Amino acid sequence: MELAEKLEKVLYQATNPVRYIGNEWNIIKKEWDKKKIKMALAFPDLYEIGMSHLGLKILYHILNKEEDIICERTYAPWHDMENLMRSEEIPLFSLENKRPINEFDVFGFTLQYEMSYTNVLNMLDLAGLPIYAKDRGESYPLVIGGGSTIYNPEPIAPFFDLFFIGEAEAGIVNLIHRYKELKAKKLCREEILIKLNKLPGVYVPSLYLFDYSEDGKVLKTEPVCTGVKEKIKRQVISNLDQAFYPTKFLVPFMDIVHDRAVVEIARGCTRGCRFCAAGISYRPVRERSKETIIKLADEIIRNTGYEELSLSSLSTMDYSDIADLVKTLSTRYLDQKVSISLPSLRVDCFSVKLAEEVQRVRKSGLTFAPEAGTQRLRDVINKGVFEEELYDAVRAAFEAGWSTIKLYFMLGLPTETSEDIDGIVQLAHEVLNIGRKIRKNSRRKMKPIKVNVSVSTFVPKPCTPFQWVRMISKEEIEGKQQYLRNNLKKKGIAFSWNDPDLSLLEGVFARGDRRLAPVLESVWKKGSRFDGWNESFSIENWQESFSDNNIEIKEYLRRRDPGETLPWDHINMGVSKGFLQKEYDAALKGELTEDCRSAGCTGCSICFELGARLELIGGEKDEN
Amino acid sequence: MKIRARFEKLQQVKYISHLELMTFFRRAFRRAGIPLAYSKGFNPHVLLSLSPPLKVGMTGRNEYFDLELSDEIRIENFITLVNGELPEGLQIMGAVNIPEKTKPLMAVINTAVYVFDMIFSSNIQREEEMINKFLAENSIIITRQRRNKKDIELDIRPLISSGELIEPGKWKFQVQCSSQGNLRVEEISKTLADYFTEVKFVPVINVEREGLYVKIGADLYNPFDDIVIRELR
Repeated sequence: MELAEKLEKVLYQATNPVRYIGNEWNIIKKEWDKKKIKMALAFPDLYEIGMSHLGLKILYHILNKEEDIICERTYAPWHDMENLMRSEEIPLFSLENKRPINEFDVFGFTLQYEMSYTNVLNMLDLAGLPIYAKDRGESYPLVIGGGSTIYNPEPIAPFFDLFFIGEAEAGIVNLIHRYKELKAKKLCREEILIKLNKLPGVYVPSLYLFDYSEDGKVLKTEPVCTGVKEKIKRQVISNLDQAFYPTKFLVPFMDIVHDRAVVEIARGCTRGCRFCAAGISYRPVRERSKETIIKLADEIIRNTGYEELSLSSLSTMDYSDIADLVKTLSTRYLDQKVSISLPSLRVDCFSVKLAEEVQRVRKSGLTFAPEAGTQRLRDVINKGVFEEELYDAVRAAFEAGWSTIKLYFMLGLPTETSEDIDGIVQLAHEVLNIGRKIRKNSRRKMKPIKVNVSVSTFVPKPCTPFQWVRMISKEEIEGKQQYLRNNLKKKGIAFSWNDPDLSLLEGVFARGDRRLAPVLESVWKKGSRFDGWNESFSIENWQESFSDNNIEIKEYLRRRDPGETLPWDHINMGVSKGFLQKEYDAALKGELTEDCRSAGCTGCSICFELGARLELIGGEKDEN
Repeated sequence: MKIRARFEKLQQVKYISHLELMTFFRRAFRRAGIPLAYSKGFNPHVLLSLSPPLKVGMTGRNEYFDLELSDEIRIENFITLVNGELPEGLQIMGAVNIPEKTKPLMAVINTAVYVFDMIFSSNIQREEEMINKFLAENSIIITRQRRNKKDIELDIRPLISSGELIEPGKWKFQVQCSSQGNLRVEEISKTLADYFTEVKFVPVINVEREGLYVKIGADLYNPFDDIVIRELR
């Protein structure tokens, strides 16, 4: 039976079959030509999550732009669909030409969060591939990975043939072309990998050996032979303004998570929050010019019919002349009824005013992220937010008519004391009081004030100033969450928190090494998939898998010694260890480090190391 | 200006749900540059309404929507422009200009015709006998399952107005489809499978909605007919 025929038999039995049919508007379905090189692009989570991911959109179009490359998509099938596929012997397939993945030359994954790793294994298996790279012969597709968690690819390294470290625009097409060339020369996989590893940003894990000490530490990482580069440097593009950006976005049939037009107005953030991995791994800040943004937005809206345009960036409000950009766009699209959305707000009145301007309907609440409950701790993490600023911002929001405010915090940050946790409680109450006072005196009709307090658990991430710190234990997390639950029990305040077990696992894999791969294998064999989803997550599976492999979770959460070799030391993100150490010392002293976009170079060494620079071309900085 | 359009929903598009289809149409109209009218108020939305939902997985040959426009547009242009923005399987087959006061589709459509691909087939004579025997029943009681409510016993015979054999293995039923009474396709499938030993439950992908009609007395009209557009009030 043909794959399409088999699919017809099962699809109607699956929840949301539309996840698996492809056929979206603007889909790129090329003729299945033997001469072309074929790449399957995978997002190891549900369709509606993967389809919302901007990076994947860029990759899809940048690859398909090439005449000789066919790039097709695949996503993780939900449990019910997986069962149907396994019982009907339907292999993982691409949405465009409905081809089995093992007919592709390259199988590429984008890795965005640690808890999707079991889905990677499952997708390899559903595609009919042995999960370990070493067990895959010449006939299998080359399995490659990229994305935001590969500042430390080690826990999943044994499953991949290679990783591309950095921004795909800076080398993915070149990589695929080079692979095609080498394959045409009939070289064996091992020879091909050695040659590919010479490309900038390409990391072939099998070419690097790890040495561990008796007490479980990484002693050293070294290339297996001479001629293999010692460090893999992150690749970045310069001149974002001129960089490729897709405008024929796929318009899905189903309601995906971010179902709107997106223009990436800038990349990177230089605020320097010390817990933030993205803050380091997307540096330096590069802006697109206003003209380019408008041109892209026009085209995307015309090509998609979307009624909402999101201005995307790690920190949208920091775009040089954001006020003018927002004003220009909202006026431009007024008649077409396209609304502008701002994905993240800074904690200040300026942000609220801008949000007020674009969001004529106060349907959703506003979210602010003070991150920590006291000024002292906010200084430790270098979150330049002052208490009065927060109160001014929420006051402005309530006065503008919003009745729901979401406050985002972290618990378990370095140096945290019970006072800091209590600070979260105090802040939440104060925000509620401010809101209620304004509502009482307001002439307009306002819904009852709601303060949603969301507290996640801090996970130390590689390549940040906190990469060495101990992650707090389950008991500590639960104690702090309990305190917050008890003290945020009040009408008008809602408190939400993360599953401590999930946070701890994220902590283990964020800073883990290759010895964790067998744990992933066994937890996947026990049936774990979609671990980021509460209804799928089974901590028992994980606990058993750790103990089956004689691995102590605690070992991976411990404090690292500054002199210790870290599992990701061979991955050069551009940041110098000295800078991270200096920042860590400053954190302990509660000293602030300014934003390099206004205060001059702070010495992270990324621009120098990666041959890039700040590109602040978004216009004159506003007064704010 | 108001337009009533007839469209087909075939092939892969059959997996799109009712709400998803509304959104998809809306964006297609916007891409096509159709002058859309919007509702007043804080959250303006396109004035689009569809005929009764098709079950996910079922194809439809003659489905309908009503759409309000802010400007005049030639019907032929409307069809060409919108079809240029629709995927294979989802195409507008015809459209008419309707008066502002035309009763909405959901209020007038009361009859649906379904064709079942029965998976089994015997011969014309035997199958005709089967259908006739089935329709000869005075009452056919089933248990209807309802979301968040208790199951109820229901006589579905009055909801079936006719049935016929198109060819061996292809059975056609005309059933009530309105807020006054609605027979679900899976109920027909289950009833047939329970009633005849040789009939198996027909999955939704083997059923097609052939048409939607307005039944007035014993007469069947389609939503484009003058009587439906101009005379019903």
